[in-house]
Order: sequence, then C-alpha cells, then structure tokens
Amino acid sequence: MAGSVIEPAKPGSLSQSVAPSPVETQLALGDMARANAGGRLWVIAAAVPLLFMISGLVIRYAAFHSVSAVPGFEAYARALCRWDCAWYVDISEHGYERFPIPGQSNVGRWGFFPLYPMVVATLRFAFPFSTILIATITSIACSYAACLVAWPLLEKNMRAYILYCAFLLSGPFSFHFTTFLTEPLFVLLTSCVFLALKRSNYLAAGVSCALLSATRLVGVLAVFATVIQMFEQHRQQGGSAASFARWVLGRPDMLVAIFISPAGLFAYMLFLYLTVGDGFAFLHVQRAFGRVAGDPLLFLWDGLAAVPTKGWLPTAPQWSALAAITGLTLSVVLAARRRYGAALFCASSIILPLITNLASMVRYVIGLAPLMMLIAELLSVSKLTYLVILALFLSACYFITLAWIGGYLALV
Amino acid sequence: MPWSDSLSPYGRAASTGGYGLALVLAVSEIIILALALNPDVNADYRAYYIDRTTTCLNRDAVGSYTPGQTVSFRSDGAKQAAGMMVCGWSGPVADGTHSLGETSRLRLEIPSLRDGLTATLQMSAVIRPPQTTQRVMISVNGVRVHEVTLSSKDPTTISFAIPHAAFANAKVLEVTFDYRDGIPPSPAASKIYKRAIKLVSFRLDAG
Repeated sequence: MAGSVIEPAKPGSLSQSVAPSPVETQLALGDMARANAGGRLWVIAAAVPLLFMISGLVIRYAAFHSVSAVPGFEAYARALCRWDCAWYVDISEHGYERFPIPGQSNVGRWGFFPLYPMVVATLRFAFPFSTILIATITSIACSYAACLVAWPLLEKNMRAYILYCAFLLSGPFSFHFTTFLTEPLFVLLTSCVFLALKRSNYLAAGVSCALLSATRLVGVLAVFATVIQMFEQHRQQGGSAASFARWVLGRPDMLVAIFISPAGLFAYMLFLYLTVGDGFAFLHVQRAFGRVAGDPLLFLWDGLAAVPTKGWLPTAPQWSALAAITGLTLSVVLAARRRYGAALFCASSIILPLITNLASMVRYVIGLAPLMMLIAELLSVSKLTYLVILALFLSACYFITLAWIGGYLALV
Repeated sequence: MPWSDSLSPYGRAASTGGYGLALVLAVSEIIILALALNPDVNADYRAYYIDRTTTCLNRDAVGSYTPGQTVSFRSDGAKQAAGMMVCGWSGPVADGTHSLGETSRLRLEIPSLRDGLTATLQMSAVIRPPQTTQRVMISVNGVRVHEVTLSSKDPTTISFAIPHAAFANAKVLEVTFDYRDGIPPSPAASKIYKRAIKLVSFRLDAG
C-alpha cells in the first residue's frame, strides 16, 4: 500500500511550514491513493450487483421464454407474478376492502401489509405503466439497493459480497426479489436497520424499523435487535445490566428509536380499526387462509414426515420444514458469532409464522438478510467453494424460475 | 452526541423535544392498542374471525326459489345454486358441491305459504376410514327439523317435513347443515377445510 512506505511526520512540522514539505506531499499522495482505492472499491461494489441484475434478468427471461409463447418484458413480469403477488397488485390498484368483503368472500386483503403496495401505487401515478411492470422494476431497484447496503455489512468482503449479490439478483430464488412481493423491500429495510445499528445510529435504525414493520408483520421484531445493540453499547461503556433501563431513559434519542420502531405496524392497525373496525384484522383474517395456531414442532415433524410417494425429490412440506430448520440453525450460528440482535430477529421471524404452519417458509427464510449474508460469508471462505456455489446459483436460477412459473408449492 | 449530554440551550431543546416525541409515540401506540383490543365489528365478523365459534361466515346471499323446483348442486346448476349458498360450500363440481367446515347454510326466498314444506335432498357422505359415517343435523330458521347419518359415497335421497311453525310467515328460509364428523384434510389443518358431505340436489314441495 502507498501509505505503508510513508514515514511519519514530525510533530509540529505541518503548522510551522508554509510550503508543503516532502513528507506532507507524500502523506497527501498517500491519502489520495487510499481515497482512489476506496473509490475504486465502491465502483466495483456498485458494478457487481449491476452485473448480476443483468445476468439474472437474462436467465429468468430465458426460463420464461422456454415455456411462454408470448414475448416481451411485461409478459415476463406477469408470468413471474404468482401467489401473493396477485394480492399486492390488487392492494396497489384498489386498496383494502371494508367488511363485508365485496364478492361475498371471507378472505380480505388485510393480511398483506401496506408499505410496498403503497410505494408501487405512488410510482404508478408518476409513470404510465402497468402495476406489475412498475413493481418489477421497483423490486429490482430495491434488491440492487439492498446489495449496496450489504457491502459495509459484509465488511467489504468481496467474495461474500459477490455471492450475496448473485443470490439476490441471479440466484435460485431471485424471482422472489424481483417480482411484486414484499421480500425486496423487506431485505433492503432489514439491511438498513442493521447497518444503522452497526454505526450506532439508533434514530436511523428506528425509522428503518418503522418502515419494516409496515412492510411485513415480523419487521417489528427488529426493535429487539435495536434494544440488544443498545444494551451491548451500554455494557461496553462499563454499565451494569441493572442500570440499563435508567441509562436508556436518560437518552431521548434511544427512546424515540424504540418507540418509533413499531410505528408502521401501529399506523396500519389504526387504519384497519378505522376501515374494518378491527385493528388486528391482519391477524384475524389468517383464519380465512386456513392458518391455525399450533405446535411449531408438530408442524415441523408433519412437514418432514410428508415423504414423497414417488421419486426422490423432497415434497413441498419437506422443503418448507428443511428451510425452517436451516434458518433456525443459522440463527444459532449468528448467536455463536455474537450477533445476538440479528440472531434473535431471524429466529423470531421464523418461529412466528411457524406457529401457524409451514406455508411460505422457504420464502420467509431466504428473505432474512442477516441469514443470507451469513451463508455468503461461510461459503466464501474457500475460493473453490465460492466458485462452485456461484456457478450453482446461476444455473439453479433457470430451473427454479421454471418451477416458480409452474406453481411449485414449496416456493409459494 | 446524545441529546441529553448537551448542555447548550439548543441541546436542551432537542432533548426536551426528543422526550416529547417519545411520549407522543408511546401514548399513541397505547391508544391504538386499546382500540385494537376492543374491535368495533358486527356479530358475524366476531363469530368467524375473532371468537371462531363458526366456520361459516354469514353473508347477504339470498336465492330466489319456487317450491316444486329441483335445484342441482352439480356444475350444471351452478348459477341458481350459487345464489342460495351463504357459506360453508366449495364450488360445484360434476357430481355435486362439497361442504366446507363444520356448518353450511342455504338461504332462499320463498312465497307465502299456509302449510309446511317437504324437503327432498340428495347427499353423499365424505368417507375416509376410520370415519365411515357422517351425521348431519338440519335446521330451518334455527329450528332443528331433521338428523341423518350418511354412510355411502353414493348419493342418498333423504326427505323430511318442515313444519309451518319453523318459518311461519317468514319470506326467507334459511337451511343450516351442521356436521359432527367432518374430516380435515390433515390432522393440523384448519376446521374451515373439513369435509362432510356432497350436496347433489335440493327440492322443496308444499304440503
């Protein structure tokens, strides 16, 4: 490095001379070299997800093209809009229903959180395109931004960063991050929360968490990561566990961060109370989707026990159960690496939906940014593993996209 | 720098503002939580979504019906049958309409009648061993009029009288089917997915 060959300046020499000394010049050049290197690194960090954004589009489009007679980007966007995507399109275009639900349905849209459909609805006012087209472009933009936010979170580990970007934008589940589902915004905001916490910027973490809680219910759980980070900071400063509450009460910025974190959820609850009469309609409507509270261990066991009747490929319940178990195991690894906040957030974000059943579990687990970053870190330790996984991600993108278009249940 | 550490007038104002904002947020959230814990909803909503005392969410469906007419619940009669189905039914298929959940309801508008009615229904049981029978209790406008145990997957014709007292001068007849032995698709599945019978046809005759 340029800086390593520069001799340290003598004390006082900078203030005493008018013309720059050779040492000063060397220091300035060293700073410039470091700045240039840092700048170059950022350019590369911005280019990597761009590259995977393009490759992902090409691969997924190729998969779409192989099964569709209709060409074009809009047809592609519509083909990838499956399952919950249709609900978000409806919310974005028509908002939420009151009760009784029109069309004599018992399934209201209340279970789907409003922030992302609101963002898409707002953009639709500005751009004269169809909802799904705008949503697809917005999702890609969100995932791209999520990659950029992950760069400092991954400690500028280039291999891990490349794997993470490949996973989000060109990976086997990249359709989840590039269509009208909440995952793109959820991953972006989760990354924002943890980046803000890494920098001890609690207000930014609180505001990001508020937005996260308006994106998906489990987003509100990030507030616990904030509190844990505060506690760790307090302990690092020599504070005792007993004095933590008093310390927080003496910090209005922390109090605002804590209380603003669930603001998105509470705003939605108020909206539901005013329109439906039930602030918990998002929970109560789960009954109409067949979700019933039960024993998570029983759901996991039932899932694992659903063996395939023919062939060797695991069944959809088995994939879901395996995803939940993998997610929980990775949460333990996060905890072992002393990332307690992220571990608690991820584990609780898996367990909460698991209380009702295994539905959408694969999507929920891959949408947890701290877990996916951990996987990227773990798989990038060896260069060989990194290259193999990268190739696997890119090739699996094609086949899993086909499965998604075909309605494979484990991907719901 | 934490707001509270600042001793400047600006810092003190920011600190006070911070406490004020935190207080406003906390109070707002408590108020919203209190509102959410006391929902302002009608009895149908409460029964289905909150108390979960029924699997059949009441809706304002009323079908028109003339006594003596046989309504098919197969795909061929979908249009007329759909108007009568309030809740607790799946969509019609070639051999009838499946019940869904623990209760199903039909609601139909009838002309004024001086006497009772005779109902004739074709139904088959959903059977999955060890469950080999389906008990069905039929009520009209809240009055229990018949109970039957079905034991065949093939359609069985049942006939029963509906006393005039059950509907008196009411213009709407609400027929409720309660199932005691509905079969869930899996042990952990919601009660709303239970299957008990398949309704094939429905007919009312005066007298």
